[in-house]
Amino acid sequence: MSAPALDRPTTRPSRPNHKIQRFATVLLFGVALGWSITGLDITLSRLASAPSDAWGVFSLMFPPDFATEFERGVLGKVFESVYIAWIGTTIAAVLSLPLAFLAATNVAPMWIRVPTRQLFNAIRAVPELIVAVVLLGVTGLGPWAGALAIGLHSVGTLGKLSTEAIESIDAGPLEAVEACGGRWASGMRWGVLPQVLPTITSYWLFRFEINVRASAVLGMIGAGGVGAELVALLNFRDFDGVGAVLIVTVVVVVIIDTVSAGVRRRIIAGTTPDRRGAATIDDLLGTSLNR
Amino acid sequence: MTTAGVTGEVKRPVRPRRRARFFFVASAVAGFTVFAADQVGFTFSTFWEIWTNPLWEKFWPVPWDWVLDEGNVLGPLVETFQIAIVATIIGCGLALPISFAMSRLTTPNRVVYYASKAVMNVVRAVPDLFWAKLLVTAIGIGAFAGSWALSVFSLAVMVKLFSETIDAADDRPLEAARAAGGRHAPAVTTGVLPTVFPAYVAYALYVFELNIRASLVLGLVGAGGVGRVVETQRQFFRFDRILGMLLIIFAVVVAIEQISVAIRKRLV
Repeated sequence: MSAPALDRPTTRPSRPNHKIQRFATVLLFGVALGWSITGLDITLSRLASAPSDAWGVFSLMFPPDFATEFERGVLGKVFESVYIAWIGTTIAAVLSLPLAFLAATNVAPMWIRVPTRQLFNAIRAVPELIVAVVLLGVTGLGPWAGALAIGLHSVGTLGKLSTEAIESIDAGPLEAVEACGGRWASGMRWGVLPQVLPTITSYWLFRFEINVRASAVLGMIGAGGVGAELVALLNFRDFDGVGAVLIVTVVVVVIIDTVSAGVRRRIIAGTTPDRRGAATIDDLLGTSLNR
Repeated sequence: MTTAGVTGEVKRPVRPRRRARFFFVASAVAGFTVFAADQVGFTFSTFWEIWTNPLWEKFWPVPWDWVLDEGNVLGPLVETFQIAIVATIIGCGLALPISFAMSRLTTPNRVVYYASKAVMNVVRAVPDLFWAKLLVTAIGIGAFAGSWALSVFSLAVMVKLFSETIDAADDRPLEAARAAGGRHAPAVTTGVLPTVFPAYVAYALYVFELNIRASLVLGLVGAGGVGRVVETQRQFFRFDRILGMLLIIFAVVVAIEQISVAIRKRLV
């Protein structure tokens, strides 16, 4: 059999016409950008000199002065940031887990679900630095205020993510507990928690990675950790020291990210013994697909 | 044949026993938590003391005529949005080509792939306000440095999100374009870009939300925007003014987020 003959001439389909939409989009972005740039007092001369100014400062950081910085205890400061992040994440985990059960559509009644969700939204809307500014006024300077600020702010995001994890469970085990006559709490403990705990644990670890950066920043406004050291050195224009602080911070952050990504991969996907080395390199470079 | 009857006693399945490793990991985590709590000065009484602190009285009443006066809060708030807009457009614009270099599917070669991944990981490892403080020192106090810092930050976040989307894209259009003899760049722009572009726009909106929040606090390190006003009022202990500002900021952030979420839902 031969191929069916075409009874009409083949024409290339006409290209969809988006000219007006494209023009409108470009115009919108152009106007937004133009309005913003004039408002920010960005002139061509500043724009031209900024990269060389920035490069000048960055080149002053080399070679970094590690010896003096280690003597000043930069590692202790970085670790203090890590402790702040850990305690903040722990507080957020402890507070957000029970709240997430009260916010999930499939396990909580409407009257408690709506206010809990609004609470999560409200908490997420306030940046942790603003929380810290207020808390520092109340508790005084120090790492504990930073940990508390991080903990309170993280309740919002962790609560939202955990809620979504609970909402996407397989309803079978929960129904089985109910069929056996289990109470609501038993259903949560035996029907829901075993299903969601691996996912939620990996969210906690992921939040810890974010919080390490956040706690480093909190130090800049007096909540303890490496940020205070960076600000002090920058104010004294001690750029060799700044370089050392930055490098130590980056190395510690990358190590924590790598370990945490490895643990999260292990929790979610299990081990793959033959590719363990390659997977660790993926974690290090952030090239693994299921981060 | 009869149905397979249950013969003998029905045994309850054996409860899986926890391995020794579980206890080891659990006690290590608990030990580290206790140690860290000690290091940051954790005290339960703080939770109580916070509520009974006399400072809370300073938060009330909110001086609305000061807060709503144009020069005090609204002007810097507009500056905050301008920073976020500039940073989002620059950061996301640069992220488009770099993301394609950072995806296994569309990278021109392995050297570019690993190099761009490594550089972006280091950029992302530096916290956003460190960038702001560094750039304030390098190019001067003000919104200009803040826009630069947020651009770098948006670029780092955007390439991570978007390159992972490209990784997961359908590779068949790309294969078809290559089979038709397309060179690398045209094959990618016609084979992959159209399928991932809605996700790109959605992520750009998400990054814009992040930037709005980040630009609120830039002023705390002297990089412009409404954070500068918060910092000044904090030094004067005018917490009533701070509360008023927070309420306005809160309302505006939630409004923008609702709009952005609504658009993102339609896109993806």
